[in-house]
Amino acid sequence: MSAAGQAGAGDRPATAPAAAPPDDLMSALRALPSRYPQARGALLPILTRLQEWRGHLTPADMRLAGELVGVAAADVFSVVTFYTMYRQRPVGRFPLGVCRNIACWVNGSEQLVATVRETLGIGPGETTPDGLFSLEEVECLGSCGSAPCLEIDSCYFEQQSPVSVKALLARLKAGAGDAAATLAAAHADAAAELRRARDGRP
Amino acid sequence: MENYLSTEFRRATPLFLEEARAKGRYRTAQRVFETLTPEQVVDEVKNSGLRGRGGAWFPTGIKWSFMPKEPLKGPSYLVINADEGEPGTFKDRQIMEKDPHLLLEGILIGSFAIRAETAFLYIRGEYKLAHDTLAQAIAELEAAGILGDAAFGTKRKMRIVLHRGAGAYICGEETALLNSLEGRRGEPRPKPPFPAVWGAFGRPTSVNNVETLANVPAILEKGAAWYKSAGTAQAPGHLLFGVSGAVERPGCFELPLGTTARELVERWAGGVKGGRRMKAFIPGGASTGFLPPDRLDVPMDPESLRKEGTMLGTGGIIVIPEGVEIVDAARVFSRFFRHETCGQCSPCREGSAWSDQVVGRFQRGEGRTEDFVLLDAIMRGSKQRTICVFPEAFAGPLGSAVKHFKDDLMAVSARRAAADAGSGAAAHGTASHG
Repeated sequence: MSAAGQAGAGDRPATAPAAAPPDDLMSALRALPSRYPQARGALLPILTRLQEWRGHLTPADMRLAGELVGVAAADVFSVVTFYTMYRQRPVGRFPLGVCRNIACWVNGSEQLVATVRETLGIGPGETTPDGLFSLEEVECLGSCGSAPCLEIDSCYFEQQSPVSVKALLARLKAGAGDAAATLAAAHADAAAELRRARDGRP
Repeated sequence: MENYLSTEFRRATPLFLEEARAKGRYRTAQRVFETLTPEQVVDEVKNSGLRGRGGAWFPTGIKWSFMPKEPLKGPSYLVINADEGEPGTFKDRQIMEKDPHLLLEGILIGSFAIRAETAFLYIRGEYKLAHDTLAQAIAELEAAGILGDAAFGTKRKMRIVLHRGAGAYICGEETALLNSLEGRRGEPRPKPPFPAVWGAFGRPTSVNNVETLANVPAILEKGAAWYKSAGTAQAPGHLLFGVSGAVERPGCFELPLGTTARELVERWAGGVKGGRRMKAFIPGGASTGFLPPDRLDVPMDPESLRKEGTMLGTGGIIVIPEGVEIVDAARVFSRFFRHETCGQCSPCREGSAWSDQVVGRFQRGEGRTEDFVLLDAIMRGSKQRTICVFPEAFAGPLGSAVKHFKDDLMAVSARRAAADAGSGAAAHGTASHG
């Protein structure tokens, strides 16, 4: 895996490892514990918000989350390591997740992984040297009826093929300057294309 | 019976509040809040025979009747299980992305029935679109005064807290979900105490699946007798069946319980993709295992599938075509369950890993007849010896592969061994564990 400390998608800071959360994020995080009967209920939402901002979670993030809900950093660490969506290392600006479970696999998910490998030269667990893309194989995304599925930061690209994946990667690369906007636009187009292809079938 | 779950599924954008109310949404919830008692709601749901759509098929009205009644000694909670993660299952997602107010009206009525003023909606982390859609729909209800200190202008308070998970199949198990909601590792809890006694944050809690709650408004609107006019005697109503895998038109289909797997696959999903033959089908999600095509006429209801030695589960059919080997499909599952065991009970943690290794042996052409004895020992040694039923889940595909496809497993292993001996190559493409 690449150790490149590049920024993540959207408004994540360029100097990720050293940066502390900005004031508006901090006040949003401080408001979360009161939504629960016990402050600890806010731990997952706080971690999720921190990761959305930074792209991954640092030890300082875990200490901060622990302070906000009143549990030890070690306890937070045990929670972070339990859930697959939490990352402790930087990933690419576009973290690709290809579902490898049964419906996607029967419909060619291995070809999608091969396409990413051919196009970008990375396999699962790896990041491109330019820090733009990383790849993971993930478990069932609940997209079995429109398989195979590729997700990027929980944006689903469904009923994909090697051809559509190649086009998607090219589009993301070209628009990497504004990663969040590029991803949102590509996602909206993919959803519209899927609706056309399926004639509205759920 | 007309469809009542999937009426909005073909929409391009979600059905939001203004349009939803124009279609009559929340009229039933309002009538419930203004004129009924919790007992009356529980009785109607009990009489309807509604059973939980998360896979366990426990009667919903009976589950609700376990909750405390007045005088209450503190808050009770409704927790909605939207941690849809059983491979082959994508029905709850359709409801949440297309028709959020169908679910939210069910949540209001369910909360009323169990005297809860707070509902926690636990949605899997990957369902970002569904989460954002629900967040918008909940905000609409707050602005309209349907949620808040005077729900529907009555004296009841009502709020819904939307909560995102972070990626863990086991959190679909209700007590793992409760731990996760509390900010802990998603490890299932020993039972008893059951959630109705000690649930979320130590309070009495009913955990209900998304589709289950989506059935509730129609039951309260049209009555238990109407509801029982579709489905089977023991499992009434409609189900959102999924059909995925190698079929022409995969999708989510609302049909009465007891519809045969053949009708779902051949008529609704257009048959096996490319006119191929079927090798096997999985009736209701990964943990229900493989059935051979000669079982396609089985009615899709809990009792009929139990007679076949399996379960209805979530009703998500997955079709495996000829040309795909059972051992490779079984490895997809064994690797999945090995990855998803929470690890707190040794028989499950070790058993899921061992069985994955054994399936891997067959996949590489190293299967031995004594491995069947070993697999049987792993399954027997882990089932009913753990805190939750995860070993029963990983034994589903494993046990059914051995039961129905034993000769096939041996033959494929022998063929790959021969191919290896011939070519000296050890590479078999699919689903090898890294």
